[in-house]
Amino acid sequence: MRQVSLKDLALTNQKRSPRVEALREAYFRAAPEICSERPRLVTRYSRDKKFFGKPVLSPLDKARLYRYVLENRQPVVAPDHGVDRDMKAFPVKARSLFAGSTTSHFKGVPIFPEFMGLALWPELLNIKERAANPYFLADDDVRVLNEEVFPYWLGDSIIERCRTRMNKDRAGEPVGERDAPEMVLLEHLVFFLTSKGNCISHTIPDFTKVLQVGLRGIIEEAQERGRQAEETEQRDFYAAVAEAMEGIVTFSRNLAREARRLADLTRDPTEKIELLAMADVNERVPEFPARSFREGLSTVWICWTAIHLENPDVGLSLGRLDQVLYELYRHDIESGALNIDQAIELLCCLWLKIGDHVPTVPATGEQLFGGTGSNQAITVGGVDAEGRDAVNDLTYLMIRATELMMLRDPNLNARYFTGVNPPAYLRRLCDVNLNTGATPALHNDRAVIAALTAKGDTLEQARDYGVTGCVEPGSNGRFYGATASVLLNLTSVLELTLYNGAHRHTGRDVLISERTGDPASFASFDAFKAAFVRQATWMIDRATNLNEALGRTHQDVYPTPILSSLFEGPMVKGKDLIFGGATINSSGASIIGFADVVDSLAAIQKAVFEDKAVTLPGLVQALDANFVGQDVLLARLRNPDKTPKYGNEQPAADGLAHWLAATLDALFARKINYRGGRYRVGYWTMTNHAGFGRLSRATPNGRRDGENFTSGMTPVSGVTPSLTKALHSVASLPPALLSNGIAVNLKYTPDHAHRDKMIDNFVASVEGYFDAALGGMGGMGGMGGMEIQFNVTTHDTFVDAVKNPQKYPELLVRVSGYTAYFKDLNPQMQQEIIERTEYDLGTGQAVEFTRAG
Amino acid sequence: MTRLKQFFLKLLSWFLPDRLVLRLMRKQIEDLKRAVEGTLTDKFLEILLGGMGLALLLLRGFRRNLAGFSGRYLFRTEDGAVAAGAYFANGRMQVLHKADNVYDVAVTFKDPAALRKFLFSCDQDILASILANEVSVDGNLNYIYKFGFMARDLVHRLGVA
Repeated sequence: MRQVSLKDLALTNQKRSPRVEALREAYFRAAPEICSERPRLVTRYSRDKKFFGKPVLSPLDKARLYRYVLENRQPVVAPDHGVDRDMKAFPVKARSLFAGSTTSHFKGVPIFPEFMGLALWPELLNIKERAANPYFLADDDVRVLNEEVFPYWLGDSIIERCRTRMNKDRAGEPVGERDAPEMVLLEHLVFFLTSKGNCISHTIPDFTKVLQVGLRGIIEEAQERGRQAEETEQRDFYAAVAEAMEGIVTFSRNLAREARRLADLTRDPTEKIELLAMADVNERVPEFPARSFREGLSTVWICWTAIHLENPDVGLSLGRLDQVLYELYRHDIESGALNIDQAIELLCCLWLKIGDHVPTVPATGEQLFGGTGSNQAITVGGVDAEGRDAVNDLTYLMIRATELMMLRDPNLNARYFTGVNPPAYLRRLCDVNLNTGATPALHNDRAVIAALTAKGDTLEQARDYGVTGCVEPGSNGRFYGATASVLLNLTSVLELTLYNGAHRHTGRDVLISERTGDPASFASFDAFKAAFVRQATWMIDRATNLNEALGRTHQDVYPTPILSSLFEGPMVKGKDLIFGGATINSSGASIIGFADVVDSLAAIQKAVFEDKAVTLPGLVQALDANFVGQDVLLARLRNPDKTPKYGNEQPAADGLAHWLAATLDALFARKINYRGGRYRVGYWTMTNHAGFGRLSRATPNGRRDGENFTSGMTPVSGVTPSLTKALHSVASLPPALLSNGIAVNLKYTPDHAHRDKMIDNFVASVEGYFDAALGGMGGMGGMGGMEIQFNVTTHDTFVDAVKNPQKYPELLVRVSGYTAYFKDLNPQMQQEIIERTEYDLGTGQAVEFTRAG
Repeated sequence: MTRLKQFFLKLLSWFLPDRLVLRLMRKQIEDLKRAVEGTLTDKFLEILLGGMGLALLLLRGFRRNLAGFSGRYLFRTEDGAVAAGAYFANGRMQVLHKADNVYDVAVTFKDPAALRKFLFSCDQDILASILANEVSVDGNLNYIYKFGFMARDLVHRLGVA
């Protein structure tokens, strides 16, 4: 069988089955429900075993804990009800083809008191009524969380343990009563954020091994290695692997037993057959090797629920499922055991299961950064480890399932290698973007592979990359990248430079960093840039210090034996992931406000130092006044003809973009993380560009107080009229400087009336952006742009969706990396999407529209 | 309040139904209502801590918040004009009307209105207080989450909000 044997790549005859239709309808009807099961079991075990206050918990301690939780979870074959947006229960009559769920609810909110779960504490009584994205919470669960769970974690959450650790490290310093400066900076919210207080790592597990040998094979390997290990830590690690895997086996068997019990109860023969088939699958896998496509998917699903029991649902991703599962699919199709309709139904059921939970977000988080899902990325297509075309039939089935379901999670990412993957595949990807309005994101294999090999990955590892969380590339199942370790607000570096170490958010009289010069003191733009680099160095040092302290805290109390067992590296090294067990051990930073800073630097260079249209102190005064009474200056700063802008192929601005990316890459590259790896830098912003923008005052590029920053690595909205120039500017940046991934967000006007023509142009725009002739700036070799993602929805539709959200419950959008439902985004983020530059593919020019609001 | 009086009030809580307790606390409830709504802002902290202390004695359900809990809070304004400590231990709450630098968490607020917004107002106002740097926290943030729940539980039980 050829890898691609489908006659119709769009699979237009494949529709949502009645089962999938019913489940999907319930999915969109359901509000998230907070689930107290996990925190209750984790807390009970931790209390009984006296874990609280212990300075160190070993991988074996944690493995025993998770085995206890897995064995004592209620085996829910299929939740029989959900709760609607009015917080009223409704029955879910259809049943998925996969047993089990992430929480005990149809659409659950898992709570991790070890991380940020306690932030929900003040809201427990009102969380059903909160303005943004309310959660259902049963009264008894309020009591459980308030009395039986949260009090035990007061001093034991990761962030609190880290704070204590940092204060101990500073013992003897004359620090007064304040916490460590890194913690204080974090709490100010405008300098940097870090994901480690909220999760372990954005990463991708390795499902290949468990599919081939089953958990029993992994257990036996761990036992054998344990017998041969010489060091106690290694023996303990191998014992932890066996312990954790036994827990997953029991969990699956419990589901099988429950399915049999339900089969005994039902009088419906069809239902009985389905339940018994489900029981058979869960008795077999994941303990033993998967023999069929369904068993393969079930293996992935059960392991995925176990991974999410251990690791918070923030950015964990499933990787290259079209590669991992292809042989099982092919075998079943060839043997006649499976047809395409059945395969599509299985995939749709799995997609719904993957989306059966939402992350914990407190009210303030919703206001600043709300609307996010769990960012569970799936990657399809591209090339294999030998560089051959890896697009197969299953790739197209997964794309079709995504098109049919239009869910926020999973977040589909498609790889494309120009000249290796078929053009028809790219055309299909563009077609799906037009149909869904927002997915999949497209990744340029040539550029991404170059970026990863530049950071030390072997060619084979790089070719086998998957996308993590939003857009971060990493070698599938062997890259422990912690890709959101540092989320740096770059505009704060600019602010500290302009205000001589102070920040207007914290007060101009409060010295935050170090004095690098009064605005009047800079004799040249080079002197200003030098000060900027000093401030950037200072902030990166602080941000990475905090990340390191959090990483050490994870090492103290949060080893991850489940994830470590399903990963390449730990088994060979006898070492948990958190101690550097993975094959690749990098950390990731993402930069927020890149385009705003590039344009601001360009404005300072041109308007202040070259044209002398304003002095630097004069510019600072204008910023302080939010440009009120400075209309002439503001017009000049915003005009691309007078002030160069990144995204217009203007050498001055694009040169600064290159300088800035190279500077940040070099500054982060100085650092070695707590696992022995290096930092990689990326440019994707989730919703942080809206949150940080809201907290930040006016900037020299003509952005006013509180306005959004620009998402990802996209040029600033409204200043790049030509699509081609915008794409060329972005693609001119060398991928080697962008190894933690980029998000380039474009908005295209849909043209369904001239569909074929539009898709022709769509394809041409992607091919042009991925063109290897681009990206040669700095003599680093042309590879084309790394990533691109789209919103293909009209401006008027977005404006109407703000006014009438009930009309658009399923309107899917690309934020900056992940997909989200437009209605769930906070108003500022909605406005940011509305104001993004929209291009008409027919003309290649930006579309004019009246600014909303 | 003397230990004896505290003991007597706690004893009462075992016999009196909550509706009678609420009637007993009419004055505190009215003050708290005005404080939460913002018409009696100047004494917000004093009223809140006083109401919490009394409710812990009289409302058995509310007292469950103290089971096994110990924590030391410092509330103060930037200028030091307002400072109060709240200590929770052994099922009791003690209020000190002065600053004490031994604490689990210290909340520094611009004025009592800022504290009120921080603890009670809708999402938008909490964000507004962060945006305006009206409130800063030093120490263990989890204790603030706990106090936030207790404050909202108090007004919920008293029918204030």
